[in-house]
Amino acid sequence: MSEQIVLLVQLNENEILRVENLSMHFGGLKAVEQLTFSINEHEIFGLIGPNGAGKTTVFNCITQFYKPSQGRVLFRTKQGQTEDLVSQKVHNIIRKGLVRTFQNVELVSELSLMDNVLVGGHIDFKSSGFSQALRLPKARREEKAMREKAERILAFMGIDHLKDAMAGGQPYGIRKKVEMARTLMCDPKLIILDEPAAGLNDVETQQLAETIREVRDSYNCAILLVEHDMRLVMEICDRVCAISFGKFLACDTPENIQKNSLVQEAYLGEKED
Amino acid sequence: MKQDSSLTKISKSPYLRFVLFGLILSMLPALTSGGILKTSWIGIIGGTIIYSIAALGLNLLLGYSGLISLGTAGFMGLGAYISAYVTGNMGLPWEVGILAAVIIPVILGVLIGLASLRMEGLYLGIVTLCVSEVLRKTFDELEPITGGFSGKSAEYPTLLGTLKLNQSTTFILLCVVFVLMMILTYHLANGQLGRALNAMRGSNVAAQAMGVSLLKYRLIAFALATGYASLAGALYAHFIKFVYPSTWTLPLSLVILAIIVIGGLRSIYGTFVGALIVYALPDLVLKRIPIIGDINGLSYVFSGILIILVVLFYPGGSVKVFDDIKRLLKKLFKRRVKENV
Repeated sequence: MSEQIVLLVQLNENEILRVENLSMHFGGLKAVEQLTFSINEHEIFGLIGPNGAGKTTVFNCITQFYKPSQGRVLFRTKQGQTEDLVSQKVHNIIRKGLVRTFQNVELVSELSLMDNVLVGGHIDFKSSGFSQALRLPKARREEKAMREKAERILAFMGIDHLKDAMAGGQPYGIRKKVEMARTLMCDPKLIILDEPAAGLNDVETQQLAETIREVRDSYNCAILLVEHDMRLVMEICDRVCAISFGKFLACDTPENIQKNSLVQEAYLGEKED
Repeated sequence: MKQDSSLTKISKSPYLRFVLFGLILSMLPALTSGGILKTSWIGIIGGTIIYSIAALGLNLLLGYSGLISLGTAGFMGLGAYISAYVTGNMGLPWEVGILAAVIIPVILGVLIGLASLRMEGLYLGIVTLCVSEVLRKTFDELEPITGGFSGKSAEYPTLLGTLKLNQSTTFILLCVVFVLMMILTYHLANGQLGRALNAMRGSNVAAQAMGVSLLKYRLIAFALATGYASLAGALYAHFIKFVYPSTWTLPLSLVILAIIVIGGLRSIYGTFVGALIVYALPDLVLKRIPIIGDINGLSYVFSGILIILVVLFYPGGSVKVFDDIKRLLKKLFKRRVKENV
């Protein structure tokens, strides 16, 4: 009985996500091993590590694209309960209030920016397929409301003038913004950004930093990002977790992480003296 | 000026355009009885409409969801036979026949949708082709119901048990159904469902991250495609009045595929344009050309060449030709206005 209670550990009051003893093995390869960290509400949290450290694998385990070999992913859902995401289907994760972007921007190139953002509102359509097929008044109202919401988000991201343009012809920076806009459609509690600065130039990266902060403040959500651009990470993250070869190194403020000898070793190699 | 704005407003409403389109189509019987066009036009354009309906369904499947089916012909045949059997042998009203002819194939389509979760691309094409061939063989062999090789006859529909239709009025019924299906397709394609299907085609992973259940939407896509195809088949049975098993073979599925590729993926009018080009044009024009017109299977050669041309020069489908013409006219018009000023 007491064991049961231990298993049902709840999140601390200000935590939104806790990854607990997470392990992911692909055959003999241990991509992630016994990783534990937690993210607080309203926090910008960075996950860093050298190439091949298993950052994206951690992402995929949190969003259930991979089912972890071991461990739990506790999340405080939009509905206010604490749930272990591992038992959830991958397409239900967004309903809990957790949404992600992709390293290689996954938009539908043949759709307008508006429609691409509306894809993010997929789960919030309540009217039945029947009433949508006939465009009954209820479905019509809902579609209109969603379009207005999408327009507001596009304006927030500063790209509403492009709403009817096809996503395919847009430059990379715009496409990244659209992907971020899409995540905002579901009123998320936690947004996971997979290398948001990859492929952006210095100016765009600076803008991105601003945008990420604005998103956090205006939409009142937490943000977890995986990033190689250390300047961005050090600038915007409240806390950073460093991993290497799937193992936990340190989790601290950006300044302390920079000074951490384990992290330095992982990135630069062992000191020879 | 005011009148102008209300006019453009009307011309922009998609519903009015669909209805107008249907009205123009349904004038055809009047034109033939007036002696302006040959009577054979009704049969050819009627067939074009039937093919368009089946192609609309395939467009939802291939154009929007990116899943391929080579089994359209089998499902059209299934719809045709069921409707012919229910109205002919069981003596039930036409409406019941259509309903049965849509529901039963849709159930089968959902089962194929289940298979689609495990395979994609060519393999899915092969599976759907196999299902279609199994159906065709069944049409051959199941004589008590399908009439075997000698085929099965059906009557023109009788609406609501009282209104008996002839060829012209059945043609108008086809137009009405076609317009309804166009509007339905428009709703589906431009709403939540269309976006979900599009997302799936773009990237399965991203679609799932946005909460689109692959299982659910693949099943819906297959159910829709088979539903449209079997409706087209059922209409065929009551328009042509005869159903042969040799109609529902692979070439027909490929013709439907050619229609949406030539006409334009994800375009409602493009589907009709494609059907006109692939189905009606050979009958109306090509066969009348001396010597060349006598070659057997000329229409296949014709659509083969067209597919190559369209893919090379108009990857969006021949419907885009109209956009180009419109742009050209606008340019010319603007230039003239400038010169006048």
